[in-house]
Amino acid sequence: MERSGTPARFAPTVLATALAFALPGVAQANADLESKIANPKNWAMQAGDMFNQRYSKLKQINVSNVGKLQVAWTFSTGVLRGHEGSPLVIDGMMYLHTPFPNKVFALDLDTQKIVWRYEPKQDPSVIAQMCCDTVNRGLAYAEGKIFLQQADSTLVALDAKSGKVLWSAVNGDPKLGAVNTNAPHVFGDKVLTGISGGEWGVRGFVAAYDMNTGKQVWKAYSTGPDNEMLMDPDKTMTWTDGKMAPVGKDSSLKTWKGDQWKTGGGTTWGWYSYDKATNTVYYGTGNPSTWNPSQRPGDNKWSMTIMARDMTTGMAKWVYQMTPHDEWDFDGINEMILADIDVKGKPTKALVHFDRNGFGYTLDRTTGALLVAEKYDPQVNWATHVDMKTGRPQVVAKYSTQAGGPDVNVKGICPAALGSKDQQPASFDPNTKLFYVPTNHVCMDYEPFQVDYVAGQPYVGATLSMFPAPNSHGGMGNFITWDAGKGKIVQSKPEKFSVWSGSLNTAGGLSCFGTLEGYLKCVDAKDINKELYKFKTPSGIIGNVFTYEHKGKQYLGVFSGIGGWAGIGMAAGLEKANEGLGAVGGYRELADYTQLGGSLTVFALPN
Amino acid sequence: MKYAMLLCAALMIVGSPSHAADGQKPLYTVVDGNKVDPNTLKGFHTWRAAACDRCHGANQEGMVGPSLIESLKVLTKEQFVQTVRDGRQDKGMVSFGNNPRVMDNIDALYAYLKGRSDGAITQSKVQPIE
Repeated sequence: MERSGTPARFAPTVLATALAFALPGVAQANADLESKIANPKNWAMQAGDMFNQRYSKLKQINVSNVGKLQVAWTFSTGVLRGHEGSPLVIDGMMYLHTPFPNKVFALDLDTQKIVWRYEPKQDPSVIAQMCCDTVNRGLAYAEGKIFLQQADSTLVALDAKSGKVLWSAVNGDPKLGAVNTNAPHVFGDKVLTGISGGEWGVRGFVAAYDMNTGKQVWKAYSTGPDNEMLMDPDKTMTWTDGKMAPVGKDSSLKTWKGDQWKTGGGTTWGWYSYDKATNTVYYGTGNPSTWNPSQRPGDNKWSMTIMARDMTTGMAKWVYQMTPHDEWDFDGINEMILADIDVKGKPTKALVHFDRNGFGYTLDRTTGALLVAEKYDPQVNWATHVDMKTGRPQVVAKYSTQAGGPDVNVKGICPAALGSKDQQPASFDPNTKLFYVPTNHVCMDYEPFQVDYVAGQPYVGATLSMFPAPNSHGGMGNFITWDAGKGKIVQSKPEKFSVWSGSLNTAGGLSCFGTLEGYLKCVDAKDINKELYKFKTPSGIIGNVFTYEHKGKQYLGVFSGIGGWAGIGMAAGLEKANEGLGAVGGYRELADYTQLGGSLTVFALPN
Repeated sequence: MKYAMLLCAALMIVGSPSHAADGQKPLYTVVDGNKVDPNTLKGFHTWRAAACDRCHGANQEGMVGPSLIESLKVLTKEQFVQTVRDGRQDKGMVSFGNNPRVMDNIDALYAYLKGRSDGAITQSKVQPIE
């Protein structure tokens, strides 16, 4: 299962050039991207910044005039299937990505003319390995380079001016299900990427590549021996008995039966964040493989874990496992948002994370101490609470698929496997000090069963059916505001479908997000029930809202293009007779609102 | 054509498994809509193990992949086997040709899915005939 990230297809001249550029060293490497981020006219990273805050200082579009917003221009990507992530905007150029085949377009914002385009040659068999959607969460930029993480796991650096390939590196083996959907992230002088394939028994890792050469600098697995996880038994800390303590020797190996960790998942396809002050990168690891918990006794560390690593060496500083021995596919990859807020009255350098398992976590991002863990959807029922001393969720036996055992359908678990929130990233507004969270309001029946690992074949081991949270508003989503210092929902705005779109907050007092029916909505950040603007885009929105300024005018944009798990994720109940004749379940109605089709819609105020 | 004949035989014995026509083995045997013969049960286990439901839906009703209830009304068995073995890469259908768990049980898988498509097996999850 060893997969090394060897640079591929180097042209010698390119290599020489790249090495020459590499010489100036670490300190300068970040300066370019940081200066691009500091200028709010750009949208230089997928989250707008390295803290994952998804906040813009632009305020030309604001609460008083957003109602007059109009479509300024649109762009078809020519690709069907789910469009996640968002374009980047750097110095008057826009860079767009698409789902498989992972086209890249560079547009001149003066003319909206395509300056260059890039389409990688990828083996189409990767499409099937990505079952069931071929999403891509976007590009990264730094120092005149655009970084594309292709579906087939190849990481590519393109010249931002010409689209010419500068280097490429093979990150995984798609024949074994190790494919990519995540956006690459540039922190320091490195490009960070992860891997997908938790449903194929892929062993998760994060790898750092030299931005200038594509050479792999470090690779840190989520499971296995300490040295392969870049974990120091004495220095890597974790929340233990109410305080931080070293993880100890073989902290992962001890929690797996035999060598199951080799096919044990813990993949890494979310949005990473970085704190320059401590040179620390933060990300989450995904579900253990298989989905049948009885087959893999133990806590299955370090799947389902918040990871804090030194960006230079990759060594783990601290770790926190949210869902030990997962029984529900509560894949822990959701974004880590860094914010300086008051936690229980005390100013704190915090990390805030809305997990698939339905708990909103606040940790001290410097030490890793657990500060707050509360439900951000009142419907969450699989655990009563998180024990703040052990940090472990207190599982309700009735909803334990482990207790039920194989071939037993455990019913009414909330949330469903797609979580109270999936990858759709939340935003933080420094003005209100609140988090704006696009959520799912969906529950499930879950029946695990025995499976055998076959390399390159699905390794799932559970049948699920999902439905809107019962005894609620009947919809499948909410847009909420969350006080991460107290662990409390402030406001909750019901939505008909899951809100599967990354939100954006702005200095104009707005919070904007997309809906699966295809609406772009902007609400008042101070009262999210006040819908100030909505517009129906060509297809359902699972992309993230972004903003930029060009020639003195602020623009707001979002990809539409339905797909992803949200668009397909509804299965019928296993025991309902004769329902095999058409799609059933909550999302069936989605087809009455929207069809496939990728496009970008860009909004502005009238002149 | 051979399979059409088999199918006729199969349909006749739905609900009365003891009456296999002319000594020919029926494609599947179903009692009470959800109790099936060992071969068809093996087909269900194959369906589940290969995670077909991720694309085709837990009830074969179709999600990102087509409804197999409908597809198996159209596909011949040969076409079915070919599709499973070779995949349909342009449409995202996995090739199971290298998966012995699927290929060794392809006849059982066909029997199960055909039973679902015919409406003889009335729910996705099946049990052995006692």
